[in-house]
Amino acid sequence: MLETKLYESDIRPDWCPGCGDFGALSAVKNALASLEIEPHRVLISSGIGCASNFPGFIRTYGHHGLHGRPLPVAVGAKLANPSLTVLAIAGDGDEYGIGFNHVVHTARRNHDVKLLVLNNEVYGLTTGQLSPTSVFGQRTKTTPYGSSIYPLNPLSTLLGVGATFVARGFSGQVKQLSELIQAAIKHRGFSIVDILSPCVTWNDIYDNVRFRMYSLDTVNHDRTSLHAALDRSKETEKIPLGIFFQNEDSPSFDELLHKTVNNRFPVNEVKHMTEEEKKVAISIFS
Amino acid sequence: MTDKDITIRLGAAAGDGIQSAGEILTRMLSMSGQYVCTYNGNQSLIRGGHVWFHIHAGNWRVTSLGNGIDYMLALNQISFDEHIGKINQGGAIIFDPKTVKAGTIPEGITPIMLPLTEIALKYDKRPLMKNTVGIGALAALLGIDRKEIGEVIQLQFGSKGKQIVDGNINAALEGYALTVKSFVPTKSLEFDYSKKRLFTHADFALAAGAVNAGCKFYAAYPMSPASPILHYMAVNAEKMGVSVLLAEDEIAAMCATIGAAYAGARAMCATSGGGFALMQEALGMAAMNETPIVVVDVMRAGPSTGLPTKTSQGDLNMMLGISQDDFPRVIIAPRNSEETFNTMGRAFNIAEKWQVPVIVLLDFGIGDGGYATVDNLDFEEPIDRGKLLTEVGDEGTWFKRYELTEDNVSPRVLPGTPNGMFVAKTDEHDEYGHDLSDVEAGLQHAVEKRVEMMNKRMGKLTGIAVEMNLPEVAGPADADVTLVSWGSTSNPIREAMKQLLAEGVKVNSVEFCDIFPLRWKEVAKVLRKARHLIDVESNYSAQMAGLIARETGIMIEDRLLTYSGEPLEPAEVVEKVKNVLKKEIGVSVRNKAL
Repeated sequence: MLETKLYESDIRPDWCPGCGDFGALSAVKNALASLEIEPHRVLISSGIGCASNFPGFIRTYGHHGLHGRPLPVAVGAKLANPSLTVLAIAGDGDEYGIGFNHVVHTARRNHDVKLLVLNNEVYGLTTGQLSPTSVFGQRTKTTPYGSSIYPLNPLSTLLGVGATFVARGFSGQVKQLSELIQAAIKHRGFSIVDILSPCVTWNDIYDNVRFRMYSLDTVNHDRTSLHAALDRSKETEKIPLGIFFQNEDSPSFDELLHKTVNNRFPVNEVKHMTEEEKKVAISIFS
Repeated sequence: MTDKDITIRLGAAAGDGIQSAGEILTRMLSMSGQYVCTYNGNQSLIRGGHVWFHIHAGNWRVTSLGNGIDYMLALNQISFDEHIGKINQGGAIIFDPKTVKAGTIPEGITPIMLPLTEIALKYDKRPLMKNTVGIGALAALLGIDRKEIGEVIQLQFGSKGKQIVDGNINAALEGYALTVKSFVPTKSLEFDYSKKRLFTHADFALAAGAVNAGCKFYAAYPMSPASPILHYMAVNAEKMGVSVLLAEDEIAAMCATIGAAYAGARAMCATSGGGFALMQEALGMAAMNETPIVVVDVMRAGPSTGLPTKTSQGDLNMMLGISQDDFPRVIIAPRNSEETFNTMGRAFNIAEKWQVPVIVLLDFGIGDGGYATVDNLDFEEPIDRGKLLTEVGDEGTWFKRYELTEDNVSPRVLPGTPNGMFVAKTDEHDEYGHDLSDVEAGLQHAVEKRVEMMNKRMGKLTGIAVEMNLPEVAGPADADVTLVSWGSTSNPIREAMKQLLAEGVKVNSVEFCDIFPLRWKEVAKVLRKARHLIDVESNYSAQMAGLIARETGIMIEDRLLTYSGEPLEPAEVVEKVKNVLKKEIGVSVRNKAL
């Protein structure tokens, strides 16, 4: 294990005191240190929102981009340099709202990028509006009489579109969360860890989660069974935490691209065509 | 050697194989030493409707569509009716009297009636080969050596098996024999079978040029007329080691391109106007976090869905104006296939050297819609990656990725490099890439840094402008009329100029390939030399004239504009210039079908 101080930044997180994202930050540092992935080998791609301020609070390469678009940036970077560990970290607004399209297709194509969603079930940085995962009846600035919309279930949805690694963690359980993130990083292809990360200002669900959560490790859950995973993901009374589903039989997009078209390592390949390639390039010109 | 040229048009329904027939003829001419320029009269459908293929060929460097039609092949009634009025005196029209009712044919035009369908049915159950019979007939009218027919058909259909190849060759030769026997050509070309010329459209030229410049990552969502770039990359991915991503939408295509470029690849994406609208926020991201990318817009007629298979130069204002506040971008609009290929090395160099997004603007007319001869492909443009560090000393927690420097360009480092960690930020940031937008915002030091960072990013434009090419001035230095154009509209202008100069009209042409940024004072000097300026472009609002006015204060009020979706023809430019000489000045608008 590497020392976690390798990942320490000199920038103090601007999250509210008590924010769930602090726990997620510790868990990510711990996971990278445990797997001994040096800071310069890691790229964290984020979007916009409290959770997306993540890069910079941890000393790795970072790309703090556009709302909803952490995944396509991550996908491009991983294809260009497969030796990087590429994480996309953002909130439920980024990933389950404006950018959900990208989550579906990145999962479906099984890109070798790891998505950590810091899910607080509310829009925090825009001061407390209804998010796609806000629960029925939730009172927010945009639903002053309680929401009449049922929330998106990210886990069952992603299981449905063919995600090969689906897990849920809780930022209040840093040790277990770190283990989930490690498993996600080691997974062959796309993985998602939905991280319940309470917003102490707009939607404090700490007690609610603590009261209802249980670990899938305690119930003999078969993570290779899609049906079992779907059943668990649909639970509403209790909140299962852990790995719902994992399938390592499917090759990642990146592996397939390498196998089928022999794509080379683009970063090392900035040079003119060879004579042979020139012939191919203009064969269509005659 | 005297200049000789000819125009040919093939018309049919979509699905009749007119595209491959046009390609066969274009190839035949190119292999006989001719320069070619073609235009694809597509409709946005797969079967039915009416499509046509126009070819201008000659022993001089043709750049546009020539004037009218010399020889026409009409496979159905609408092809006959729609184009008969555009056939030149001395021209001919080939058709099958069983499928086309000719009515009265204008005097001076020779009807060539052939049993196209009957011959085609000899070689296949379906009459698809009627276009091949027509090709044979056209080859006879042109006087191309019979041997060329077999060779070119073999090239086109070789992969489809011997039966199809032989059937097509025999069908073509029958058409050839019948035509040679019965008709004497009125117009001919000079062939040189030792000169095999290459031809392609700007979409393919762009893809090939990009790969030669070291582009190894391409992302796109399909959109006409940019899709051939994606097809080219997909077909050649294996042999050239290119990573191709068919993204879920244009936003993802652009963001993945930025991700790949950030990680260190030369990366590119392409689309048309509507798709580019989706990419705009991310273009700002590339400019803000100083990630070098090349992004392509193959323009089509809009707005919104518009005319997906028709041409336009209407996106210039979008490219100039894409904006979340001010940020730098470079715009280049190559004039033809050859210049497109030769531009790509420069486009990637500018992107990497100045760490900015570079936009390449093509249009349907020279892109998917038309082939042109490519003679001089430059494979050797040196690769310049700018201030790219391969190693970094251990100088602290973070790398100063956005260091303020004399030329406004900071040293760049790629993820994976030890000690090089930084955050590529879309928030306003300091030299390390840390936020000035939240806990620092509004504090005195952050306010000062914000101004420095804006100056840094925008200041790059001054440096880039020095490296950009001024417009080319073609034709005599001393002219009564100066035509101003950008990108593809220079092509009909060149042909019009040739004709006008031959008639003794003193005309020249100022052609912009590099659009923005430029050394505008020098551009102004060029324009001020002109006695009378005419702005020629393919859009409603004279967008280039607007840019010129904004940057130089020179307002070009005399204009020839087209927004019909059809490319300009040289004859229209000739007419416009002659009208101006007759003191008829103002805005002229094209509204006829090609």
